[in-house]
Amino acid sequence: MLSPYRVLDLTNERGLLAGQILADLGADVIQVEPPAGSPARRLGPFAGGTQDDEYSLYWWAYTRNKRGISCDLEQPAGQALLRRLVEGADFLIESDRPGEMAARRLGYEELSAINPRLVYVSISGFGHEGPKAGYADSDLVLLAAGGPLALSGNPGRSPLRVSVAQAYHHAAGEAADGALIAHHERRRSGRGQHVDVSAQQAVANATMSLILARSINSDESGRQGGGMAFGAVRAQIIWTATDGHVSLTLGFGPAIGPFTRRLMEWICEEGGCDEATRDKDWIGYIDLLRSGAEPPSEWERVTELVATFMADKTKAELFTEARMRGLLLVPVSTIEDVAKSEQLEARGYWHELAQPPWPQPVRFPGPSVRVDQKPMQYRRNAPTLGQDNAEVYGELGLDPADLAALQVTGVI
Amino acid sequence: MTSGNSSGALEGVNVVDLMWVVAGPTTTRAMADFGATVVRIESSTRVDTSRTVQPFHDNEYGPEQSGLFINMNANKLGLTLDLKKPEAREVLLDLIDWGDILCESFSPKAMRSWGLDYETLRQRKPELIMFSTCLFGQDGPLSSVAGFGTMGSAISGFVALAGEAGGAPVGPFGAYTDYVAPRFSLATLLAALDHRERTGEGVYIDQAQAESALHFLTPALLEYHVNGTVPALAGNRDPQMAPHGVFRCSGDDAWAAIAVRDDDDWARFCEAIGQAPLAADARFATLDARKQNEDALEAIVSAWTAPRSDLETEMALQAAGVPAHAVNNSVACTADPQLQARDEFVTLPHPVHGTTVVEGAKSRLSRTPATYRTAGPTYGQHNDYVLRELLGYDDERIVDLTIAEALT
Repeated sequence: MLSPYRVLDLTNERGLLAGQILADLGADVIQVEPPAGSPARRLGPFAGGTQDDEYSLYWWAYTRNKRGISCDLEQPAGQALLRRLVEGADFLIESDRPGEMAARRLGYEELSAINPRLVYVSISGFGHEGPKAGYADSDLVLLAAGGPLALSGNPGRSPLRVSVAQAYHHAAGEAADGALIAHHERRRSGRGQHVDVSAQQAVANATMSLILARSINSDESGRQGGGMAFGAVRAQIIWTATDGHVSLTLGFGPAIGPFTRRLMEWICEEGGCDEATRDKDWIGYIDLLRSGAEPPSEWERVTELVATFMADKTKAELFTEARMRGLLLVPVSTIEDVAKSEQLEARGYWHELAQPPWPQPVRFPGPSVRVDQKPMQYRRNAPTLGQDNAEVYGELGLDPADLAALQVTGVI
Repeated sequence: MTSGNSSGALEGVNVVDLMWVVAGPTTTRAMADFGATVVRIESSTRVDTSRTVQPFHDNEYGPEQSGLFINMNANKLGLTLDLKKPEAREVLLDLIDWGDILCESFSPKAMRSWGLDYETLRQRKPELIMFSTCLFGQDGPLSSVAGFGTMGSAISGFVALAGEAGGAPVGPFGAYTDYVAPRFSLATLLAALDHRERTGEGVYIDQAQAESALHFLTPALLEYHVNGTVPALAGNRDPQMAPHGVFRCSGDDAWAAIAVRDDDDWARFCEAIGQAPLAADARFATLDARKQNEDALEAIVSAWTAPRSDLETEMALQAAGVPAHAVNNSVACTADPQLQARDEFVTLPHPVHGTTVVEGAKSRLSRTPATYRTAGPTYGQHNDYVLRELLGYDDERIVDLTIAEALT
C-alpha cells in the first residue's frame, strides 16, 4: 500500500523495526549503515552460534524487506551523498543520540531546507528534549524508567524483564505510526515535520495505565509473580501444571466473573470444591469483599483450590477442556511451542526466505497483519553489507567509476 | 521545535470504533489524539472489561472509576448502543456511512449474523476501510477462542521469557500483547487510508494480535529455527552485557537497573563507584571474564548500590555515561522530570471526578502535535452530540431509539 514512498532508514540497533513496518506495508526502505557495518550486526543471537556481521539474527529480523547501502556519515562526502538521497525521500528515520545528526548538519532543520516535504523521525531513549535527553540507555534501563519493570517479578525480589529486548520495539512502532500520521497531514499541507519518539514514554503504555495510579489516587499492583493485585486482593494469572505452566485469568466482576463461574462448575464436577463455592456471586464478588461479607482469606482459599486443581493436569488437558468450556486459559508457550503451533501452521503464518550467506532458506514470522488489498509480501532478504550500493547510488546517477572512487575513500 | 499550525494531523478522518478492552482502543486512542473523530460504541449491557480493571479513581470500584478505560478512550466520543436491538444496528449503519474506518473486535460469527461482515458492508460502501482484530485471527483451530492480552502474552512466548533462573516464569506485566499489537494495526490503518485516497479502493484488515506480537520476538524465533536453541530463564542477565541487572538500593522496595554495555562502560563504571583499579582486574577485564565471574561481579555492584538511593545510583552512573535508572513505580514516574517534560501526564475534565489524568501521546509532531480534549467517556456521554450533530437525527428519532432501549 505504501509503494509510492521512499524511506531512508538510518537507525542503528535502536528502532530498526520502524522501517520494517513501513517496508512490510510496501514502502521502498533503504537501510543506511556505516561502511564498517551497523552496530546491529553485532547483536546476537547469531546463526551458527558464532559472532559474525553477516549472521546476526537481530539484523536479519529487522532489516528484511529493506534495500541496504553503506555510507559514512562522519565524512563530508558521505553527508553530501545522504543529502542527495534526501531530495528524493519521503521519510527519514534515525536513532542516533540527540544532537548527533545536527552536529553532522543532518538534523531536521538542515534536511527540511533541502526537502520541505520530508517527514523526519527521531527515535531515542528519552526524547530529544528534557533533562534526561542525554542519558545513556539500554533496554533494561528504559523499562525501568518508563514503569513496566516495577510491575514484573516476584514479591520482595528483583524486578524482571523479558529476556528478548523490547523497549526500542515499542518506540519503533510509535515511530512508524507517527511517521504515517505526519504523512497524512502532509497530503493536505504539502509539508513535512519532525516526529520525536521517546522509548521511555513508549514503554509506559505497557503498565496497563498503572503509571497513572498516583495521579488518580489509586493503589498500585506491585510485583505479584505471575499475577496482579487489586488492593489487598491478589489475582493469580500464571499457574503450575504437571508439565509446565498455563495462563488463567482468575477474577470477578461483570466481564470476568462469568468465566470464573464456568471454571468453578468444572472444578465442582471433579470434586475440587463444594457447591457453595461454585455458586458464589462471581459477578458481584468485589462488593462482597469490600463489604467484608467475604473475608480476603476466603478468596485466598479459592485461589489455593484452583491451584491444586490445575497442578495435577497437563497443559494440553487444561487447554482442551478450557476451549470446550470457554475459559480464559491458554498454555504458557515456550519459543519452541510457538514454532510448532497448530494455529500458526493452519493460518500459513511462517514465511520462508532465502537469506544469504546462510545456505538454507530461513523461516521468518509471517505478515504482522493481513490486508486484502496489496497483501504484505516478503520481497527481500536482510541485506548483506553494501548489497544495494550499485543500484541505489546508480539511481542517483553515479556510475561504477564514481562508486569505485567512493569506495577507495571509505565513504561507501 | 515550533508548533505553528496546531490543527490535528488526522482532522477529517472519521472512525467508528466497536472495539473493546485494551488492544483495539489503544489503536484508536492514537488516532483521536491527532485529530480524528472517533466514535467509541459500547453498551452497558456488555460491560467493557477495561471498565472493571484498576487503577481506580480514589480506589473506588465502579464502571466510571477505571483509569485504564478513561486513559485508553480519551479524546473519543462515547455512544451507547445495544447492538442486539435492530434499531441500534440501524444507527450503526448510519455511522458506517459517515465513517472512513470501521474497527471491530467481535467474533466473526457475531458480525455475520448482524449482516455487518465486510462482504456485506462493502456492497453498501465500497470505499470502506474495515479492521477486525482478535487474539488468534478469523480462521484456524483457535479462531473461536476469545481472550485477553494476558493470554496473548502467554501463548506468544513472552511469559516464558521472563523469570528468575531455575524459577517459574512470571512474564511481563498484565495484558502485554495489547500494547504490542496496536503498533502494527495503526500503521496498517494509516497505510490503508493513503491507499484509499490514491485509488478510491476500500481495504479489509484482519489482525491476529498473537501474530503481530511475535514480531517483537523475531530474533528468538529465528534462533530456534536456525540454531534449534531457545533461551533459558536467566533473570535480568544478558549474554552480551555484564553487569546487567536490577540492584537493590536503600529505601522501601527501591531498585536501580544498570547495564554495562562494553569494556568502556565497565571502566567508567569502576571509576564512578570509586574502584578504578577493578577495571584492570583480570576477573572482570573483558565481557567473557565478567560473564564467567558474574556472581562475584554482581556482589560488587550490589554492595555499592545497597547504601545508596535509587536516584543517587542513577545520577552517579549517568554522570559517568553508564546506562542506569531507578526502577520507577507510578509515584516515581509521576515525579520524573523527563516524563513531565514530555507531557506524559495530561489533566482533563471528567464529569464524575471533576478532573482526571491520562497519558500523553508518545510521538511529538513538531507542527501538528497531539491535542487533548476529553477523558474517556462516561456511558453515553456523547449520545446527543453523535446522534444530532454527526448523524443529523431529530428529537423524534432519538425518542424512538430511547423507547426501543437501543441507546443503553
